[in-house]
Amino acid sequence: MAVEPKLSHTAAMILQAIHAGYIYGFSVMEMTGLPSGTVYPALRRLERDELIRSHWEKQSIADAEQRPARKYYKLTAAGKSTLEASRRRYPLLERLIPTEEAKTV
Amino acid sequence: MTSLVGMAFSLLRRMLMRGAALLVPAGMRAEWLREWQAETWHVERSCAGGWYATAFCLGAFQDAWCLRRHAQREKARPVALHGSAGQCLLAMATVLAASCLVAHLLPEARSATNPLWAPARTGLILIQKSSEAKGGTSIPFELFQAWSARRQRYFDEMAFYWMSRENVLDGGVLKGAWKIAYATPNLFTLLGIPAQWKNEDGGADDALPAAIVSDAMWRRAFGADPEIAGKVLHVGRREARIVGVAARRAWKLPGNVDAWVLEPEAAMPAQASGSVVAHLTRAGRAEMWTGSVHITAYGRNDTELDLNGFSMDDESVGPWDLYRFALFLALLALPAITTVSLGEYSPSSHRPQWPRRVVRWLYLAAKIALLLPIVYYMSLDLAYWRSFGTTYAADYIQLFSAFALCLGGMRWALLDQRQRCPVCLKRVAHPAQVGLVSRTFLAWNGTELMCSGGHALLHVPGLPTSWFGTQRWLYLDASWEFLFAGPEAG
Repeated sequence: MAVEPKLSHTAAMILQAIHAGYIYGFSVMEMTGLPSGTVYPALRRLERDELIRSHWEKQSIADAEQRPARKYYKLTAAGKSTLEASRRRYPLLERLIPTEEAKTV
Repeated sequence: MTSLVGMAFSLLRRMLMRGAALLVPAGMRAEWLREWQAETWHVERSCAGGWYATAFCLGAFQDAWCLRRHAQREKARPVALHGSAGQCLLAMATVLAASCLVAHLLPEARSATNPLWAPARTGLILIQKSSEAKGGTSIPFELFQAWSARRQRYFDEMAFYWMSRENVLDGGVLKGAWKIAYATPNLFTLLGIPAQWKNEDGGADDALPAAIVSDAMWRRAFGADPEIAGKVLHVGRREARIVGVAARRAWKLPGNVDAWVLEPEAAMPAQASGSVVAHLTRAGRAEMWTGSVHITAYGRNDTELDLNGFSMDDESVGPWDLYRFALFLALLALPAITTVSLGEYSPSSHRPQWPRRVVRWLYLAAKIALLLPIVYYMSLDLAYWRSFGTTYAADYIQLFSAFALCLGGMRWALLDQRQRCPVCLKRVAHPAQVGLVSRTFLAWNGTELMCSGGHALLHVPGLPTSWFGTQRWLYLDASWEFLFAGPEAG
């Protein structure tokens, strides 16, 4: 039986934010209200634990918009199942950061 | 004014970012900096710079510090030493330290390697009758007296000694039947033998001849007593005063001697027959083409006597010489017991980069560099762990043990090298027999071993053939890595 990692409330919030479509560090900060010194180290840990994975935006897109390319984060399959478990543990999580599907319901 | 403040803030943020980047491990720094610079750019645009963007940048220090701590924890994690090159070198260094310590604790080994015995006078020859074997001692003392009294062209100094077994008493206590060399007083100075605690002044007042005890007998009969000088021994029916102890291995002439009694020529019995040691002049050295020379001596009434002189220069063999000789023999014998190649490499694109190959060669060099002193000290330990009475026994033991250890050690070093992954230097494991020996000419058979890091497979042929004679490495590309990923990867 696989053991699901237990996330802190902060990590669960960040995971929920990414799931909700806030896919780069600054947007996660804005959504969660957490400072940069908390969000970015948490992103590193989540990536190390393979709950999220990162990728760089295509340079051509960034060049077209005349801005630097951003690093985007995405939930992995393990991240999604951990988030499911975290939602059970923190029932208000989904209300704090609703996903697009939740908003439309 | 506002733009100046903005520029100052921008400069401050850039400096903060660069400063924080120094905390990040070098391998991740570039990507980390790229992300933070991109994020800061967006923060500046959305918040119009100023304090908020600067406070955002301060978070970079926390992020950088977390990355640094994680990298340090990873580094500090106990390295899996089992089967690693580091474990092997550590074990060898421990063996070297232990064998070196034992060699320094053993008094016999310490004195054997003591440089006191090493310097010996050169240009010395041992002269014996030609009709006798090399070990014979048969020149009559009266002939020596007559010969040495003549003007010599080839020798500038001559000494005579003869040997006898005598009962030796110390203060009325029988010490045993010793082999005594009675010699003319100049023998030790002629040979250049150093003597410890030499105290010739102590015996100058009396007419007793001087006695010098061998190092082995000094330890055995007198318990290495440093106050031995001045003692009077009864040697046979004569008395002699001990003036010193001969340095170990200093005596290079035939026969083992327990003590030397240096007595004036007048006290020497005329019928004594022994050997002559002489120091060559420049003219004498010019005549020594080989290790021996024929000499015609003239005794009383100009009677001719045919003698042979044997050079003593090449007979100084110490532990270091024995070790070098054993090493030479072992290197000669090594190809007979193992192949000296380090394995065949496939010319694939996954072949290790040259730094890895250099490290592999350095590892082999380190093993050999540790092995050679281990062999030296262990052979000394084995040869001198107890006193054998004669130096020859210790020499033979040292020679044999150094040869065996060197041969076995070199073989092990090569075998170990062949069974280490060229990428990570860990020993390959999990041997699996592949194929049937009976199908040698139809298919490959042998043993397949695997690097636990997933870098390579080692194929050792069961029966070497013309198309698969030696072992081969099969390098695995990155697509194999998931099979070998450690538990911490997830």
